[in-house]
Amino acid sequence: MFDTLFPLNVLVYLLSESILGLLLLIAFGVVTKILLQWDFESFTPEQFKREQYAYLINTITLFIFVMKFLLLLYFAYTIDALSILVPGAMCAAGVITANGYGEPLLALKLTILFLLILWFYLNHYDLLSKNHQWFQEKSLLFMVIFLFVVLEMWLDFTYFTHIDTNQAVSCCSALFGQLEGANPLPFGLDTTTLLILFYLLFGLSILTLLLEKPLLYIPSNLLFVYLAYYSMVYFFGTYIYQLPTHKCPFCMLQSEYYYIGYLLWFSLFIGSFMGINRAIIILWLDPSHSLPSRNWVMGLLSFFVGVASLYPLIYYWRNGVWL
Amino acid sequence: MIRIQHLNKSYTQGESQSTILKDINLTIAKGETIILKGVSGSGKTTLLSLIAGLEKPTSGSLLIDQEPIHKLPDLFASKLRADKIGMIFQHFNLMEHLSVAENVMIPLIPRRWHLKKINQQVTQALQKANISHKANTLASRLSGGEKQRTAIARALVSAPEIILCDEPTANLDKENSLRLIAMLKTLHQEGKTIVIATHDPLFEQLSFPHRIIPIENGEIVDV
Amino acid sequence: MFNRAFWHFLTLQLFKERQRHIATLLLSTLLVFLLSSILFISASLRHTLTQTLKAQPDFVISRTQGGSPTATPLAWADELAEIYGISKITPRVYGRYFFKEKRESFLIMGVDFLEEQTHQGLEQLLNESDLKDLLSGKKMLIGEGVKRFLSANFYDNEYKFLTPKGKFVTVTIAQTLPAKSNLLSNDMIIMPLALAQEILGYDQEEVSDITFNVPNPDEWQNISDKIASLHYDLRITNKREVAKSYEHLYNFKGGLFLVLFIILLATFLLILYQRYSMVYSSEKRQIGLLRAMGWSITEVLQLKFAETLLITLLAFLLGVVMGYLYVFILDAPLLSAIFLGAENLERHLTFTPVVELSTLSTIFLIYALPSITAVIIPVWRVAITDAKEAML
Repeated sequence: MFDTLFPLNVLVYLLSESILGLLLLIAFGVVTKILLQWDFESFTPEQFKREQYAYLINTITLFIFVMKFLLLLYFAYTIDALSILVPGAMCAAGVITANGYGEPLLALKLTILFLLILWFYLNHYDLLSKNHQWFQEKSLLFMVIFLFVVLEMWLDFTYFTHIDTNQAVSCCSALFGQLEGANPLPFGLDTTTLLILFYLLFGLSILTLLLEKPLLYIPSNLLFVYLAYYSMVYFFGTYIYQLPTHKCPFCMLQSEYYYIGYLLWFSLFIGSFMGINRAIIILWLDPSHSLPSRNWVMGLLSFFVGVASLYPLIYYWRNGVWL
Repeated sequence: MIRIQHLNKSYTQGESQSTILKDINLTIAKGETIILKGVSGSGKTTLLSLIAGLEKPTSGSLLIDQEPIHKLPDLFASKLRADKIGMIFQHFNLMEHLSVAENVMIPLIPRRWHLKKINQQVTQALQKANISHKANTLASRLSGGEKQRTAIARALVSAPEIILCDEPTANLDKENSLRLIAMLKTLHQEGKTIVIATHDPLFEQLSFPHRIIPIENGEIVDV
Repeated sequence: MFNRAFWHFLTLQLFKERQRHIATLLLSTLLVFLLSSILFISASLRHTLTQTLKAQPDFVISRTQGGSPTATPLAWADELAEIYGISKITPRVYGRYFFKEKRESFLIMGVDFLEEQTHQGLEQLLNESDLKDLLSGKKMLIGEGVKRFLSANFYDNEYKFLTPKGKFVTVTIAQTLPAKSNLLSNDMIIMPLALAQEILGYDQEEVSDITFNVPNPDEWQNISDKIASLHYDLRITNKREVAKSYEHLYNFKGGLFLVLFIILLATFLLILYQRYSMVYSSEKRQIGLLRAMGWSITEVLQLKFAETLLITLLAFLLGVVMGYLYVFILDAPLLSAIFLGAENLERHLTFTPVVELSTLSTIFLIYALPSITAVIIPVWRVAITDAKEAML
């Protein structure tokens, strides 16, 4: 179990997560207390105290949101750096799949960020309302986030303590390649159809965004993200690496590719998170206040599609052929 | 403009409970000047801080322009206070390490205004309070009268409709007190609503229309 | 809200309370300085070692006897040549020569000057030396540390080596190796293969080990297995394993250091928490005044946190810059001794400036995250001061 012997980065990461977890635990205690007795209409000094405590929660959650985001980047970098120790791993892809906890951990992290963005907007609306209208919803969402974070922490520790440095892992070519001839693409698509759908769904997402059709927007954006992932790994990525057999979502995070991976994944996920949250807010909350900016969502998603598309285009322009 | 109904304020310290204000009912029209007359401990200062929204009542309602300031969440209460209320304190309450202009600027900082606009507003307020010539002087170096004028400028800088004064002449000599009263007269003529909590006899002979409300032991005494 | 007026006001506030803030700033800066110095040294050493390792040959085989390395038969090189996929087979002769009087020792490297070297660093060194001169007679190239030692013992031009067979061999100093390759050649003596064999007591058909490269990384496991099965007493190691073992060493040292540092950090955080929890009545009045002037709790929180963050950031910047200067300009006196441990020769080590985003973000996370966490609650408590404090 301790074969990894915990490089400094991993220790710092785990320590940081623990501190945040502790802070969140304190906040959770406070939220529970004030939620149970919250009564906006009452005049008692206790209620006023509760409203003051609510500000503590807001501050803590904002801080945690910023830190979780930074820690995600740090986590990505740490995983990548660990590839030296794990036999067979050439980049983060191999390390993440070193045991069964890696991928769920990553997925959970993204989910938590998504929920935190939602909480952030809920909080914004709550403060702007004259009677703390969203206080209950905000607090319940906070509790959900707390539970997820606890799970995340458990996964953090379990994942890192179960990386066996003596066990070879598959690197991305085995994980994403077509070794056995089976088609790794979803729905049995081929690359061309995948790309057509990719661009179509992008267009649909933008359209439903502009036409203010949130109910259509959510599934189209979700599907877009799903297809974007595959498109990145099986098409755009190969142009970033300029190698038709190099299929990997993580290698593009490395310095030799100018860290473009961070930009691409960031714009895809944050853009989608904001967009989906926007749709949720329009559908189920009172949208009388400022919504997550539509321009930002469009901008981020377009940036993602634009930059990703540039790679194959530039390659073709330079070499006259596709890969 | 300001409507107070069945306002009560009491403090609970462990087992003992002290009632500061009992069933206050008061309506102040726009542009009126009210003198809350009473000795120290009569509750007039507390009433003033309740009107300003600095404290919350134990029961009752307090409406400023129909807005229930006692019930508003902090963000709204603060905005109301920032927009509509200017306060002048007994002990001036200036930040000693800042200059006059910087002190006057404080209420405007949270607004997302351009520095130029802020400076304009500050200059106007300084002129009105007759303290422009000391704009860059450190507050610690001012005389009592000058400090009070700075406080007035600060209270006026956000162009509020309501001015609340808590024993404004308590630390002033007679000359400066008269100057202050003259300034209040000007403000009254501009249509501002003024509420003054004081037991200074000078305020019993104001030359402009006003209403005296005596307060004793937390209750308004009917005259 | 963060307009110019806000920053102006903030600066004035900080300046007023400067005595309180300066103490915090100094302490924080010291902490960051210590942290960044250690991390800079570590990153620099790691970088240098990685670079050094890159220049090393991929594989090394040697013969073992009873588990310990012993003289390797030169014949094994021929066996290697028969395996497909191997290049640059280079037999090596090297060993420690002990100067009994002073109880010092140096590394003697025997080299076939006419062959291409697998070790890139060595290759570079030799390219810069005068080969003709080296090959005429018994000559050697020595490192700076060796030069210093020999001169101190009055051996200016040559030295009489004592071979295990009891014979004396006089070798002349042809050249002193340049200081820039310090890590590599500081206590090293490079001489012709045959000469080294003689001085170190090897037979003509014996060498210390044999190195080679395998250009195709996928073949490493294959070839390694093949060669290992050639002889029962053959031991084979490769570059990646060495890298891994260095990593483990670093991790161990790193972990140790972190544990010690955490104790220091915890103390610091406690002090921080205490200091921010001390709310002077003057501060309460000021906050009360701000609230009376129409500032909302959010705005007061923004002010107070801006104060804290500014100091945190300033300490971070100052500490990192100081750390950089200390490690990369002054070569980290004192600390470097702790890091490098006891060496048999005085090693004047220059640290290659290596500043990676990873190092900076690690410093930031270890310092800033706990610091801000420690002060969140105290700062909030101050910010919610009742506005009626202003009335008192």
